[in-house]
Amino acid sequence: MAAPAAAKSPTGNRKTFRRTKVSAAERVVSLISVVLLVVIGVAIWFKGKHYDPDRFALNTDALKSTAAAVEGKSGTARGADASPGETKAAAKTQADGEGEATVEPAEGAAAAPAPAAKGEPLEIKLDGLKPMSDTEFYNADNLFEKIDGRAPAYLNFNFQQLRCRSFSIIGTSGSFVDVYEYRFDTPVNAFGMFSLERDPKGGPLAFAPDGYASGMGFFFRQGPRYVQVTASDQNAKTLALAKAIAEDRAKNLPANNTGLDARRRLPVTGLDPASVQFVQENAQGQAFLKNVFQANYDFAGKKLPFFLMVATPADAAAAWKSYQDFASQFGGKVTALPDVSGAKIFAAQNFGTWKVIYQRDGEIGGVFDTDDGDKAREFVEKYLEGQIK
Amino acid sequence: MKSEPDGIKAGKSGDAAEGGISRREFLVRAGATGALLAGAAAGGYALWQPKHFVPGFQPEKGLQLPSYALAPNKLLPSLAIAHGTEHDKTIRAVIGALGGMERFVKKGDVVMIKPNVAFDTPPALAATTHPETLRAVAKLVLEAGASRVFIADNPINSPAGCFLKSGLRQVADDLNVDLLYPESGSFAPLQLDGEVLRNWTFFHEPFKKATKVIGVAPCKDHNLCHASMTMKNWYGLLGGRRSQFHQYIHSIVSDFALMMKPTLVVLDGMNVLMKNGPTGGRLSDVKQMGTVVAGTDMVAVDSYGYTHLMERDLAELTYVHKAQARGLGNTNWKDLVYKEVQA
Amino acid sequence: MKTRTVRRISQVFFFSLFLFFVFVTDLRYLKGYPVSLFLELDPLVSFATAITTHTVYMGLLWSLLLVIPTLLFGRIFCNWICPYGILHHFIGWLMGKRRAEERERIEANRYKKLYSLKYVILIGMIVAAVCGSLQIGWLDPICLFHRSMTAAILPMLNLFFPSSVYVRQYFHAGAWVIGFLLVFLVGMNVMIPRFFCRVLCPLGAFLGTLSTVALWRIDRDPHKCVDCDLCLKSCEGASDPHTQLRKSECFVCFNCIEDCPEDAISFKFMPALQREITAPVVPGRRAFLGTLLGLTFFAFGRASGASDRNYNKKVIRPPGSVEEKDFLERCIKCDQCIRTCPTNVLQPALMESGLEGIWTPILNMKLGYCEVNCTLCGQVCPTGAIQRITIEEKTGLGPFAAEGPIRLGTAFFDHGRCLPWSMETPCVVCEEVCPVSPKAIYSREVTITKRDGNPITLRRPYVDPALCIGCGICEHECPVTDEAAIRVTAVGETRSRDRRLLMDGGVTSAPRSLENKQR
Repeated sequence: MAAPAAAKSPTGNRKTFRRTKVSAAERVVSLISVVLLVVIGVAIWFKGKHYDPDRFALNTDALKSTAAAVEGKSGTARGADASPGETKAAAKTQADGEGEATVEPAEGAAAAPAPAAKGEPLEIKLDGLKPMSDTEFYNADNLFEKIDGRAPAYLNFNFQQLRCRSFSIIGTSGSFVDVYEYRFDTPVNAFGMFSLERDPKGGPLAFAPDGYASGMGFFFRQGPRYVQVTASDQNAKTLALAKAIAEDRAKNLPANNTGLDARRRLPVTGLDPASVQFVQENAQGQAFLKNVFQANYDFAGKKLPFFLMVATPADAAAAWKSYQDFASQFGGKVTALPDVSGAKIFAAQNFGTWKVIYQRDGEIGGVFDTDDGDKAREFVEKYLEGQIK
Repeated sequence: MKSEPDGIKAGKSGDAAEGGISRREFLVRAGATGALLAGAAAGGYALWQPKHFVPGFQPEKGLQLPSYALAPNKLLPSLAIAHGTEHDKTIRAVIGALGGMERFVKKGDVVMIKPNVAFDTPPALAATTHPETLRAVAKLVLEAGASRVFIADNPINSPAGCFLKSGLRQVADDLNVDLLYPESGSFAPLQLDGEVLRNWTFFHEPFKKATKVIGVAPCKDHNLCHASMTMKNWYGLLGGRRSQFHQYIHSIVSDFALMMKPTLVVLDGMNVLMKNGPTGGRLSDVKQMGTVVAGTDMVAVDSYGYTHLMERDLAELTYVHKAQARGLGNTNWKDLVYKEVQA
Repeated sequence: MKTRTVRRISQVFFFSLFLFFVFVTDLRYLKGYPVSLFLELDPLVSFATAITTHTVYMGLLWSLLLVIPTLLFGRIFCNWICPYGILHHFIGWLMGKRRAEERERIEANRYKKLYSLKYVILIGMIVAAVCGSLQIGWLDPICLFHRSMTAAILPMLNLFFPSSVYVRQYFHAGAWVIGFLLVFLVGMNVMIPRFFCRVLCPLGAFLGTLSTVALWRIDRDPHKCVDCDLCLKSCEGASDPHTQLRKSECFVCFNCIEDCPEDAISFKFMPALQREITAPVVPGRRAFLGTLLGLTFFAFGRASGASDRNYNKKVIRPPGSVEEKDFLERCIKCDQCIRTCPTNVLQPALMESGLEGIWTPILNMKLGYCEVNCTLCGQVCPTGAIQRITIEEKTGLGPFAAEGPIRLGTAFFDHGRCLPWSMETPCVVCEEVCPVSPKAIYSREVTITKRDGNPITLRRPYVDPALCIGCGICEHECPVTDEAAIRVTAVGETRSRDRRLLMDGGVTSAPRSLENKQR
């Protein structure tokens, strides 16, 4: 007990009391407390040094989801425009395909959009036109983003690249023309796709033998390209400009008819041009009929479907034989006809329809699927003799 | 005085440290502190939310409505048309043509009748379900043996005003059936695999106990989606900011056909709002067509209504075609087994 | 070493730590420092938010580190850790009766009935919390001190010493109220020592309530005591150590131990119950008034409708904010978000979001804008009123590309004020600075004839509401600086279902896939 030798009265002048007795327990507790404070200080300093940089700046891996370009299209534009929804659809497949922010673009689907954006911009120098946006490019991996459900058919014909651009017409309130150029690997495949989508009611085009005008659009094949030029409305001015654009493309795109010999061989007399078709494989359900051209002919008042395939003479002969064998199955009546102009011919009737098939060197063809066998035979013989060109 | 050596036994200070505290008191006090300590720690951990969430983007789960439709019946008609001059007779005729209300409502059923009470306009203007129509349907339901009948709608104008001025409140009072107002607690989130409608707040209260659902709709012109009939009628079950629906109105109306599979729908064509709908406002907008259509396929009923009651080209009515394309109904009402009668 | 010495060291340490945190809450210095640590340690914050939200948000679990010592030792927080308490202690010592007569000092530290007011305030706040409105932020000392530093003190420092605190001077709405309130509360130490701590502090009241079960306390040995009352001379808590100690008022400052000439006072484990007043003394009628205050604050505030359909278009909340009703259950008005925001766009609200929303953060685009790749406000928010979102979540990138970005609101043009729309003058700064891709502002070219007869080709801007994220940089950069020609309002914010503008975007991403199918 350290009582100062001062008065016991609570007031009055007195030296300020200073406690001096400090117990051991108090010293220990005080020491622990100070150490605790130091530990807290160090912990906070430590915490300050270690932090996630993603708190302060965007992790650039996240930017991968923006790799797909959305060129100048508004989010509120509905319909055919690319919208943020598209970017998100592409982004989602990317994110799903790649997992969490890892970089490997090995799965072609994920990273493809960037390389597709390569090529010459589509420039059309015509008065009264103004590009509405930049040229868009699509390849096989992302074609569906542009044309959705139509894409698989294009891919079947070995589609390579789509180059498209829209042009607004100056001096109108919103009229525009879309130009789509689909490039395939061969003119034959371009023709195949073109004829698949062909409108039977389309009118012929003077500047494109493989082409037609239909509704508000002009469609034709030139070289390995299938070109579609569509107007936004049916105003005379819009249509005229659309036609001018189509002519411009026909003039400036390279022409090439390689592989279309079979096409050339189709006789012109009586031909219904709108019916010309290219069937890549399994024509008439036959595995041996590939790259076949077929068309309808008006022969003596009768509509006759006629087809033609060009191959090596051995293949053509083999195909002809196979076809004959096939026709004799299922109770068909097969008649071997006399050769005409170096061609072997047989006629067959299956289930009420006639076919007359010939083979001459590297060419096999004939009339198929008609109910008038006589006319069919007559047509084939006349063709072989060169009377139907 | 403040210090009190007396009152404390000499030598026993009452302090725990000096051994002056009883064991019991020690345990009680230490126990209380310990309990509070443990409670605070346990409570903290139990309520702990260690991860953040992104507000507005959380996945939503909602209720899914069961189907109230009957099993398909190839023998009885699925669509009936009745022509007449009086509401009650015509309704009875059309329901009778379908096989009677007993086909739809069994004894003991709890039936929810959904009229269109969107606006606070008088019945003569044909913007809401006609009270006589509702009365006839409700009477038939009660006669068929329903144990309870609910009438409910979530109007666009104020609920109290709409039910009163449309005359439907009087019908509910007369027949002594339950009229449910869309109160704050009556809504619950709905989940739907719709084209556009996926999560929305829904007027759930009337459906909690319902076993059968009957929609009773007027036949009205609509400025945005061309017509409001039995499919659009279900709009009145949704809450929240429905005004956003107009951004995708045809998809959403076709989503209603997915959301609700009613037992029966009745399209009241006795007085048809031919133009200036859905609100109307002039008697000259209303035409008496004297027809009531009822059926189990709301798409078919609406298709009949649009062509025969509103006398328009069905090709315009995008939402019925969307619904048909999605397999939710048939726009060719003639393909159904139907019956046309005169009341 | 004496315990009081350690206490002084602790006071210096924690006060400096607090100032350090306040200063370092800046993008340039923040790094990983836990700048909201004091708020996360605050037991009243975690307790009250647990009542309103039924959760303990992330770092608030740290408050157990203070609850446990309080349950054992009493209100050590008030004098050892609380930076606001330390401030009052220091100012009281500096300006108070340091040189005054001993007797005056002793009288000033006796317990007064007025000191039960803080319990009434606490009751009111807890009742309001039970109802669903969090109002502890008005008077919680840590919240109040953080808010005062953010809104008033630091800007004042920067005004007198330019660029010492900010790169460019910061301004805060209503800073004068917050500043003068601080000055008043601190100044009141002249009249009553530790005025705020004894009379108003709800945290002190809460800790005082917890102290009821404390196992250690200051104890006076009646055999040694000579009733000189000198222990009151420097008593911080006014806890009457000279008679029955009021456990709920004692700040455990250890001054009485040092001042007692008879060495009669010590810090003891479970001393006798008859020498203490264990629980806080709150007259029943006052408690009832507190309850009434809490109920009516909530009811009248909520019934004024500011958080329902009649919401103010200017209540644009920071990115990552929860829906408005939830926001009012979480925001403690600490203004940490306002402190850390790099553009000064965050401001303490006045009456924009009603009575309950006073001093909660809203964006004012005249002063700043929401920087796109920044989520600092959410990083420092201790209660989750602004969730701790990542930048990817905010901008809708990477794994969040499907959901899309967080939107704060939507921008709308005021054509009459827009230069190209009404003043024949080219501009489109708004389109230039719009940070999203594709831009939410797009323009269309038009050629008009000017007043002087010459033609001019202008670009006139439009907003695409499906793309706008409401960041406000367009409004901020618009040359019409008094009232911009493009202004962001709250509609279209993704945090609230009710305030959506378009059906697409945000949760219902179905329309996006619908668009894809339709093409």
